[in-house]
Amino acid sequence: MFLNHFEYFAPKTPAETLELVSHLGSKAKILAGGTDLLIVMKSKAISPEYLIDINGVEEFKGILCEPGKGAVIGTNTKLAEIQYSEELKAKYPALAYAAGEVGSSQVRHMASLGGNSCNASPAAETPTPLAALGAKVTLESLSGTRELALEDFILGVRKLDLAEGEMLTKFTLPEPAAKSACRYAYMGRRDAMEIDSVNMAVNIELEPDGETIKSLKLVMGSVYPRPLVSKEVPALLTGQKLSAELVEKAAEAAQGEAKPIDDIRASAEYRREIVKVLAQRLLNDTYQAAKGV
Amino acid sequence: MKTLIELDINGRVHEVAVDARDLLIDVIRKKAGLTGTKKGCGEGDCGACTVLIDGKPELSCIKLAIACQGKKITTIEGLVQEGGTLHPIQQAFVDKGAVQCGFCTPGMVMSAKGLLDRIPHPSEHEIKHEMSGNICRCTGYKKIIEAVQAAADVWSEQGVE
Ligand SMILES: Cc1cc2nc3c(=O)[nH]c(=O)nc-3n(C[C@H](O)[C@H](O)[C@H](O)COP(=O)(O)OP(=O)(O)OC[C@H]3O[C@@H](n4cnc5c(N)ncnc54)[C@H](O)[C@@H]3O)c2cc1C
Ligand code: FES
Ligand code: FES
Repeated sequence: MFLNHFEYFAPKTPAETLELVSHLGSKAKILAGGTDLLIVMKSKAISPEYLIDINGVEEFKGILCEPGKGAVIGTNTKLAEIQYSEELKAKYPALAYAAGEVGSSQVRHMASLGGNSCNASPAAETPTPLAALGAKVTLESLSGTRELALEDFILGVRKLDLAEGEMLTKFTLPEPAAKSACRYAYMGRRDAMEIDSVNMAVNIELEPDGETIKSLKLVMGSVYPRPLVSKEVPALLTGQKLSAELVEKAAEAAQGEAKPIDDIRASAEYRREIVKVLAQRLLNDTYQAAKGV
Repeated sequence: MKTLIELDINGRVHEVAVDARDLLIDVIRKKAGLTGTKKGCGEGDCGACTVLIDGKPELSCIKLAIACQGKKITTIEGLVQEGGTLHPIQQAFVDKGAVQCGFCTPGMVMSAKGLLDRIPHPSEHEIKHEMSGNICRCTGYKKIIEAVQAAADVWSEQGVE
C-alpha cells in the first residue's frame, strides 16, 4: 500500500514549526510518531498535502518532573520514556502504567503522548489518567498561547478544540496533593496490541484525617465519544468515608453515566458491566493507596 | 520528486534517492538490498519489520525513510559478528529451536536486542510484555522466551555489542 504524495518539512525549532503550521493550515498534518497518522494515510482515509515532522524539535520532547513542582511533559515525548521514567512512576504511577500498556514496545518507542490525545480516539489509553490527574494542555500558534484542561481539549471522536494554525506543545500536571492517589485500569480482550474495551482512572484526595474523601475524580474511556468525567460519583462520595455499600452505589452511578456503543471490540452491554467492575476495583484500590495502606 | 538522502544502515552510509512517501522498510529492502527485514502486515501489528533506530526498536513499515536521516539504523544483517559468526541472540534462537518458518525471526531478534540492551536480565513477564508486538504463527512463543533468556545469560558473559 502506498501513501499519497505529500511535501515533507522537518523544522528544527518551535518558531519554525508554528510558522509552518500557520502557513500550511488544514492541508498539513503534524507528524509525531506517525503510529496513527501513517495508518490512516495508508488506508487513504486522509491524504494531507504536507507533513510537518516535529521529531527534530528538541523543545517538544522531554519530562520535567521535580519534587513539589508537578510535571511538564513535551508533546513529542515518547510513551516508552513515560513508561520508564522513574520520576513519573513515583509521582504519577497511573500515567506511567497507562503509557506502558499502549500497543507494543515498538509502538511505544515511536508514539508520542501528544499524538495519543490529538488522535482523539475514545479508546485511547493516556487521556483518561491525564484527565484524572488534572492535566492541562498548552496550545500555541503564531498569535499566542492558551491553556485548556485535557477533558475540554478532546471534544469527540477525532474532534479537538484546536484552531487552524494551532498545535499542542506540552502537558502540565499539578503536583499531587498530600494524602492522595490516582490509579488506572483497563479491560481488553487480550493484553497486548489490543485497543481497550473500557478504561478508567480514579484520583482521590483525603482530608487530613486520612479517611474522609475531600475530592474525587473518576474518568472513563471508551464508553463515550470523549473522556467522560463522572459527575455523580464525586457527588456521592465527597465528604464520605468509603464503605462497601458506597462503592457499590458509586459503581452503579458510573455505569448509569457511561454511554457505550456496540463495536467489533465489545458489545455495549458488556462494556457497561465492565464499567461497574472497574469502578469497584479502582475506587477500593485508589482509596487504600491514598490512605497509604 | 526524489530527494537524495544519506541513511546510516549498520554503520555503512547508503546514499539513496527517495520520495517523501517512501517507507523505511521498502528502502531497506529494495534500495539498500537488505532483505533480512520482513514486511508482514504493513500496519504496525506484527513486528516482522522491526529495526533499531538509535538503538530503539521501531516499525519500519510505518516509518518514513526521509525521517531517518542522521539516525543509526540497525537491521538483522547488522548483528553479524566478526568472522561472520552469529550474534549470541541469533545463536540462542537456533540452539533453543525458536525458529520454524523464520519469517518472524529477524523482527523477534531485533526486539530482543532492544530489550536486552535496556534490561540485561529481563523477567519472563518483562520479555512477554516488551515483545508482545512480535507475532509468531509457528512456535507458540515458549521457545522464543527460552531463547531470549538463554541469550541474556550468554550475552552478559561475553559482553559483545
Ligand atoms: C499497532 C498499534 C497499536 C496501537 N495500540 C494502541 C493502544 O493500545 N492504545 C492507544 O491508546 N493507542 C494505540 N495505538 C494508537 C497510537 O499508537 C497512539 O494513539 C499514539 O499515541 C499516537 O501518537 P503518535 O505520536 O504516533 O501520533 P501521530 O500518528 O504522529 O499523530 C496522530 C494525530 O495527531 C496529530 N498530532 C500529533 N501531534 C500533534 C500536536 N503536537 N499538535 C497537534 N496535532 C498533533 C497528527 O497530525 C495526527 O492527526 C496503536 C497504534 C498501532 C499502530
Ligand atoms: S510489517 Fe511492520 S508491523 Fe507488520
Ligand atoms: S517462526 Fe514462523 S512465524 Fe515465527
